[in-house]
Amino acid sequence: MKVDGLSKSFRLYHERNQSLKSTIMRGRRSVHEDFWALKDISFEVPTGSTFGLIGSNGSGKSTLLKCLAKIYYPEKGTITSRGRLAALLEVGSGFHPELSGRDNVFLNGSILGMSKKEITRKFDEIVDFSGVEQFIDQPVKNYSSGMYVRLGFAIAINVDPDVLVVDEVLAVGDAEFQEKCRLKFVDFKEAGKTVILVSHSMSTVQDMCDHAAWLNHGELVTAGEATPTISAYLDSLSFGGNL
Amino acid sequence: MRYLKEVLASRELLANLTLREIRGQYKRTVFGQLWSLVNPLATMLVYTIVFAFILRVTPPPGDPSGLNIFPVWLLCGLLPFTFFSASVQTGMGSILANAGLVQKVHFSRIVLPLSTVGSIGFNWLFEMGVLVAVLLICGAWVLPWLPFVLLMMVILAVFAAGLVLVLVIANVYFRDTQYFVGILMQIWIYMTPIIYPISLVEAQSARIGPLMGTNVTVLDIYRLNPMERFVAVFRNLLYDNRWPEVNDVLFCAVSAVAALAVGLWVFRRNEKGLAEAL
Repeated sequence: MKVDGLSKSFRLYHERNQSLKSTIMRGRRSVHEDFWALKDISFEVPTGSTFGLIGSNGSGKSTLLKCLAKIYYPEKGTITSRGRLAALLEVGSGFHPELSGRDNVFLNGSILGMSKKEITRKFDEIVDFSGVEQFIDQPVKNYSSGMYVRLGFAIAINVDPDVLVVDEVLAVGDAEFQEKCRLKFVDFKEAGKTVILVSHSMSTVQDMCDHAAWLNHGELVTAGEATPTISAYLDSLSFGGNL
Repeated sequence: MRYLKEVLASRELLANLTLREIRGQYKRTVFGQLWSLVNPLATMLVYTIVFAFILRVTPPPGDPSGLNIFPVWLLCGLLPFTFFSASVQTGMGSILANAGLVQKVHFSRIVLPLSTVGSIGFNWLFEMGVLVAVLLICGAWVLPWLPFVLLMMVILAVFAAGLVLVLVIANVYFRDTQYFVGILMQIWIYMTPIIYPISLVEAQSARIGPLMGTNVTVLDIYRLNPMERFVAVFRNLLYDNRWPEVNDVLFCAVSAVAALAVGLWVFRRNEKGLAEAL
């Protein structure tokens, strides 16, 4: 996967015309300035690697992930990737609370781009991974938050993409479930798939990633091997660098 | 063309989302799907009392079916209109209602408004089924016309979907749209010969004569409303049991295709900005 000269801006509205009245009364377009959340980012993610995005809050990591996941469309630059891409930005979005876990597996799977046949084939694996077998025919509104998140995660991880984009969702569930997830990522890596993840936990990044990119205020500071990138980032923090 | 292909590729998702709406809608209600009938029946009751009993509106009897029952005549026009109005009003909120999904997952956004139209269409199908049973009991031999009724239902759904695609985008940028459309729909039902027969408009139009020295009459303007044509066609098929005017059917089909073309064009142009605009 290759990211080339990527820039993304958002409009900061000073006076926003979000109602017809204000548009007509003011008779002009809203007043805004552009805020560049990402400025000319270029890096390459080697196929089969686990790639970490690090940086302080507001550095543009999530925006970059959303661009990769085709939720935002960048103003400039291109993203080229090979194979099927799945994004795991939030688990369980799109669950219908009144429907059973089973119905929701099919619904959520198809939102994530799986065909019915695929879901049927992987159904047992998904349920098994989530650990909610006993309650799969109950409406998900009765699930505990842990069960909810585990089921969502189990579906998403079984989409079986070539590139998986993950935002801070690894911290879900109890220790046992986290261990399951970690093993799943190891499987992923062994199968030669690319994983791109955002995390604030440097130990996770250190542990899982072989490559990393460091973002600061929308700009790429460095990208490359994980260990030197992480230590450069940590150094900048402890020496009172640009937070 | 490529866009249509993409939409076609997500038909399974469309079906699943439609099912989600249908299944979720009447969960935990005792009467379930029957609730879908209650609304039109209540409206029918009110309109029948006010317009047939108090105001004495008398629609012409069905020709050749010979039916002369106001509530049934009313329903033949009311059910298509309530489908139209409900799918426009619910469909235009579909992106906002699923904001969380739009901001977190990449998928063909068009399935959201379309699935709303689909689920309301399913309710409509159920209501029409009941109406057909009532028509049969009343002695209208409606069965041979059913395939054509179904075709017209599809055309009306296409027309509604086209409007929804434009309004759903407008509603993301200007949240006023939904309130505005709510009022528009209230006016629209009275601008369409649903509660009264079109013959009353014809009479008024003839009395006024051509407008301002042109050939245009009030009736001509009145008949520009595509819903007027749809209602006429549905009544011809269901209540009169005869072929509708070719002109009317063509008018319906052309407005549906035009609405869909504009809808697709607008939606496609704005689809990519949706996650940010929400």
